[in-house]
Parts: sequence; C-alpha cells; structure tokens
Amino acid sequence: MRPGLVLILAAATTGMVVWLTAISAEDGRTPLRVFTASSLVDAVGDLAGRWTIETGIPVEVVPGGSNHLAAQVRDGAPADAFLSADAGLLEDLDDLGHLDGATRRDLAGNYLVVARHADGPARQPSDLHDLSVVLVACAPEVPCGATTVDRFGDLPIDSLEPSARATVARLLLDEADLGVVYATDVVAHPDLVPAWSQEPACPCVTYAAAALSPEGRAFVDFATADDARAILVAHGFTVGEPGGNTP
Amino acid sequence: MSRPPRAPRSVMAVASVAVAFLALPLVGLLQRAPWTGLGRLLGERDVLDALRVSLTVSVVAAVVVLLLGTPLAWALARADLNLGRLPVRRLVRTLVLLPMVLPPVVGGTALLFALGRRGLVGLWLERWFNLTLPFTTTGAVVAASFVALPFYVVTVEGALHTMGDDHEQMAATLGAGPVAVLRRVTLPRLLPAMGAGLALAWARALGEFGATITFAGNLPGRTRTLPLATFQALESDPQAALALSLLLLAVSLAVLVPTRDRWLPTR
Repeated sequence: MRPGLVLILAAATTGMVVWLTAISAEDGRTPLRVFTASSLVDAVGDLAGRWTIETGIPVEVVPGGSNHLAAQVRDGAPADAFLSADAGLLEDLDDLGHLDGATRRDLAGNYLVVARHADGPARQPSDLHDLSVVLVACAPEVPCGATTVDRFGDLPIDSLEPSARATVARLLLDEADLGVVYATDVVAHPDLVPAWSQEPACPCVTYAAAALSPEGRAFVDFATADDARAILVAHGFTVGEPGGNTP
Repeated sequence: MSRPPRAPRSVMAVASVAVAFLALPLVGLLQRAPWTGLGRLLGERDVLDALRVSLTVSVVAAVVVLLLGTPLAWALARADLNLGRLPVRRLVRTLVLLPMVLPPVVGGTALLFALGRRGLVGLWLERWFNLTLPFTTTGAVVAASFVALPFYVVTVEGALHTMGDDHEQMAATLGAGPVAVLRRVTLPRLLPAMGAGLALAWARALGEFGATITFAGNLPGRTRTLPLATFQALESDPQAALALSLLLLAVSLAVLVPTRDRWLPTR
C-alpha cells in the first residue's frame, strides 16, 4: 500500500472517531452505567429516558446475559446499578461485597411463552415434543434457559441460544418453528405470537435490582417506584402481584 | 558468514514489548489453568461431545476446502480468466480474500440469508430436497468451510506462482496433455504447499466461532464445537472454559509442527 493512502486512511479513521465521539457525548455529565439483563433492555431504555428527563443525568445501558454481567462485576467492571434476570446472582455478589446490599430488591417478573412467527402455521402443544419441528430455546447457562428447563423439562431443542434475544432472532428470521421466549418478547415484537393459548405459569423469572455505587442507589429507588412500575407493566412485565413482588 | 548488523537498542526494546504482548495472554492462561483437575474436566461428556463435533466438522471442512480450493487456486494462477476488459481474476481474488477479513459473524449472517430456511438458495433446498442447513452438523461444516477456504487458496496459489510453469511448459512440449501435466507435473510439486495450506485451513475451521453460532446454532453433540463450548462454559464453569482453552491451544500448536518448514525457518 502506498504511504499516501495509509495516511489518508488513518486521517479518515481519526476523523470518524472524533465525529462519533462528538455525537455520542450528550452533555458533559458522567453517565450512570446500568448493567441490564438483555431481556429488560427495551423497558430499561424507557426507564432511563424518564430518569434523564427528571434528573438530567444521562444513563448508559449496558445489556448482556446476566451471568456475563455478574462475572464482569466480579472482575471490577465500573457499573452503578445491576438489573439481573437471576436474583441469585445478586445474592452471590452481595456475599462477595460487590454491591450495596441494602438496595437489593425484586424488580419485576416475566413468564415463558412458546412462540412462533405470526406468518407460520398454527401449532399445538404436542408440537413441542415433535422431532420434525425446529425448536430453539436459551442455553441452560443463562436465566431464560435455566427457567426453560425448570418449567418444561427435557425438550428436543435444536439450538441453545446464548440469550433470550438470540432466541427471538431465530423466530423473527423464521429459521425456527417454535421458540421458548419471554412473554415480554411477544409484546415487543408484532411478528411473534404465542404458538397456542397459554396461561401465565411458573417456574418463571424474577428480576432483581441492586446499586453498586452511591449514584446507582437513586436509580434503583427510581426503577422500583410506582412510575417505573407502569413502564415495566406496559412492556409486559409483572410487578406487585398478590403474594409479593414476583409473579 | 557475515555478521548480522548491530540492532539499535530502541528497536530491540519495542520488539521485546511486542513479544511480551503476544506471550502474556498465554502465560495468563497457563498460570490459571486447573492442572490437577484437567483430566477430569476434559473427560466430561460435554467436552468429549464438543471434541467429536469439532473434529468431524473441521476434517470434513478441510476435505471440502481441498476439493473446492485446489481447482480454484490453479485457475487463479494458471488459467486465462479475463473476459475482454473485465478483470475476472482480480474480482475472484477479492472474493476469495473477503472471508479472511470479514468478521465471521457477518459471514454467518450472510450464510443465513443465502442458505437459511428463508434464504436465497436455502428456500429451494428445502422445497426441492427437504434439506435445511441451519442447526445441523452439515451447516457447521458449511460455516467452517466458508471461513477456511481462503487460507488454503491463498497458500496454494502463492506456491503455484513461486514454482513457475517452466516444468509444465516442458511437459506440454514433450506431448503431455493438459490433464497429464496437471496430474504428473503440477500436483506432485504442489503437495507440500497443499499440505501447509490445508493445515492452516483446518486450524481456522477448528477455531471457527462467529459464523458457526450464527448460522448453525449451538447444540451439544450436533453443532456445539470446542470454541462454542468454551464460550458457553465461561457462563457457568470458568474452570472448564480454561481446560477447553488449553486443549485448543495444544491443538493449535500441533498445527504448527507439520507447517514448521514453511513458517518457522531455522534461521
């Protein structure tokens, strides 16, 4: 490659980085960093928007598998709050002294639904065990997958996906006939429908929140207050059902 | 023998930093490795399943690469490819190099839209032959072959250029037909390069992650290869992930043995 071309490419890349940095810096304030289970991302995006309007503090939502995020927290990742799909992970982090234990509380609940693409053929419960039906679900290592095993037992799954989002993508791309996803995923994606009529049932998922820094404490309070609950419910989560905060 | 020129100290200092940069992650892996429990961790059912899938997928992919890549490398090096002013050779060569620089997850996404159930070609594969590739071992082979093919083609094409076509011309002058020239003259001289290219392609296929998980999914015993198992193990059992990483490291080092003359000259 000619040296001139290298210089031009280097200059173009630098310019792009400067531009991207400029458009991503909303204002001079340090954003609050919220680690978020990937299935909560849409709702937390709305929560964060409301929070920024009320407090002026920008929020950086960091989505991921809850286990991955917990491992990052253990390794010292700079998070202010952690919204986990597995309350047990927060308990472990609390025991290790990584979070503000007083702020730890249940946030919302979510059910599993067997879903299909809206354009696909009608299905019945027996299809769940039909070997010719392409079935996808979360890997048992992540909360949605562990809950899938607890609720449905042994299923002839064709691919164990690394997150609830990845499972949804298989259905949206129509690569799978059936997928075990969250009830909230069906609310969020018009192209997904429950594969057949299903009542909410447990085992199910309970999200929990905790602060990891003094700045995160106010956000956890905000996320578990009434206004925030309305947002969570609008996204299909359950909050404050009889018998506790969990479904 | 002439003495090598004296190296400037600054150059040697930066070179040492580069060596440390390459060595450090390996040291990190080795010092955390669960040496005592290694046998037990690697003997687990899941690991053996992943090893079996990995070996099957990477060996079949290597065969696919050999069968498809050899004619392609030969055509790129020897055949008259240009149609008038259209630079076919350069276009094909770009296409060959692309999977090498493309992020594998993009390759997997592209494969999904081409060969998936609703893909350009996949749609007809399913309709006519009842054949679906995603979530099958065959799909994992397709993903691995896609990312590995360039490494073989580039190696073999380079060797064809280096060895020139004098011998081939001579054989042709002596009356050998094109197939005889290929079989009796070109291929025998090409064997070392084919071996080296194949080792490289096989290693690439063995390490393949992004295209595989995107296109073929992740199921123990069917599409979960060693890299996928390593990724999954990190979620739940970091010790197992370390053991798997060691296994892959050992295999990768083993690949360098048959190719050492090519990439590890003694001086």
